[in-house]
Amino acid sequence: MIKLRIKNEMHTPQGKEWLDLDLSIAKGEFITLFGQSGAGKTTFLRILAGLTQPQEGFIEVDGEIWFDSQKRINLPIQQRKTGFIFQENCLFPHMTVRENLEYACADKKEQGSIEEWIVAMGLKGLEGQKPDKISGGQKQRVALIRALISRPKILLLDEPLSDLDMNARLKLQDEIIRVYQKTRITTVLVSHDLAEVFRLSKKVFVIERGKITKSGSPSEVFVNNDLSGKFKFTGEIIEIQKDGVLNILTLSIGNNITKVVASDEEMSGLTIGSRVIVAAKAFNPIILKA
Amino acid sequence: MNKLTGKIILVESSPHMSMVDIDVEGDVFSSIVLETPATASYLKQGKLVALVFKETEVSIGKNLSGLISLRNRFKATIKGLERSEILTKVFLNYKSHPIISIISTRSAQKLSLTEGDSIEWLVKTNEVSLLKEDE
Repeated sequence: MIKLRIKNEMHTPQGKEWLDLDLSIAKGEFITLFGQSGAGKTTFLRILAGLTQPQEGFIEVDGEIWFDSQKRINLPIQQRKTGFIFQENCLFPHMTVRENLEYACADKKEQGSIEEWIVAMGLKGLEGQKPDKISGGQKQRVALIRALISRPKILLLDEPLSDLDMNARLKLQDEIIRVYQKTRITTVLVSHDLAEVFRLSKKVFVIERGKITKSGSPSEVFVNNDLSGKFKFTGEIIEIQKDGVLNILTLSIGNNITKVVASDEEMSGLTIGSRVIVAAKAFNPIILKA
Repeated sequence: MNKLTGKIILVESSPHMSMVDIDVEGDVFSSIVLETPATASYLKQGKLVALVFKETEVSIGKNLSGLISLRNRFKATIKGLERSEILTKVFLNYKSHPIISIISTRSAQKLSLTEGDSIEWLVKTNEVSLLKEDE
């Protein structure tokens, strides 16, 4: 169980903001922090890992105090046992895949598991390569093993998939799900990709300007449950074309682009970039074998 | 999107779906939903709900006779028309509530719809969504 209450000043393009969070994460839970850039997501991860010291607050992990500003407790990074994966891979360029993993494995007894991980993550045959000789997805898989090899208490994922193309991204999402199911490690993912949030996490915290504004399961947070429509998605308007008495909207929903029509009345207050709920009765869609 | 508010007067359910009758100022609307009172707490007699349905799902009839399977069929007057090449938007006055129907311009011409006409508007039960209203 992670219990956390922190306050820290952030410098954002809009000026000074306070990161002011009070939350708890159950042991073994997979949660996502969702929000725009500058909302405080990465700062939160850095504070948890011990890379940034908050001005005020308290962090307790499984009964152990990691940080307490009043009692002047601040556990150093090495003792916090967190595994961290960043957006851009941070592998040592002069070391091979295997050397990178060996270096991260502080406990020599765990060295034996390196081979096991290499095979499990589909990296067999690449262990002698330097990072610049493998793909972005492969690098992030190495980073994932590196984060897990020292058996951390918490896995922190800071948009690890955002630089990958769609195929590599889906593949790595599968790996993350598999690793999570196997290890049940408490995982905190930072993401602003809705499809990813729905796929990976059971619980999501929405952060806006340093504060948590919503939390719950992805569908509780992102889908308006007060509407009876069962064919219901959240998407973003990317194009609006007027044709006669109707508007044709192009929407980005998950990984798909769709078109729907809307009357001027429905369009009130909506522009390109607006997030919308698209709903139809469950009776309407036709189903064809793909 | 058209929206009307009413009170649930009857919920008839099978294991996974319900036929809901809603009273809107004396007219009874029906909606079929893939919910039951067990899965949606608002499906109760006496609860206030909004009925929502797309303008393009509203049909218009003039001098209708004979039998028709549509249960949602109500009288209104035409307040105005906005014609475009393919589609025509028909603004209706239904018990002082605005209802919009978008039909093909061909149909609008065939029915010679004009402002002030008394018509009947129709919407299929499986096109009406329910939206929980705050009470």
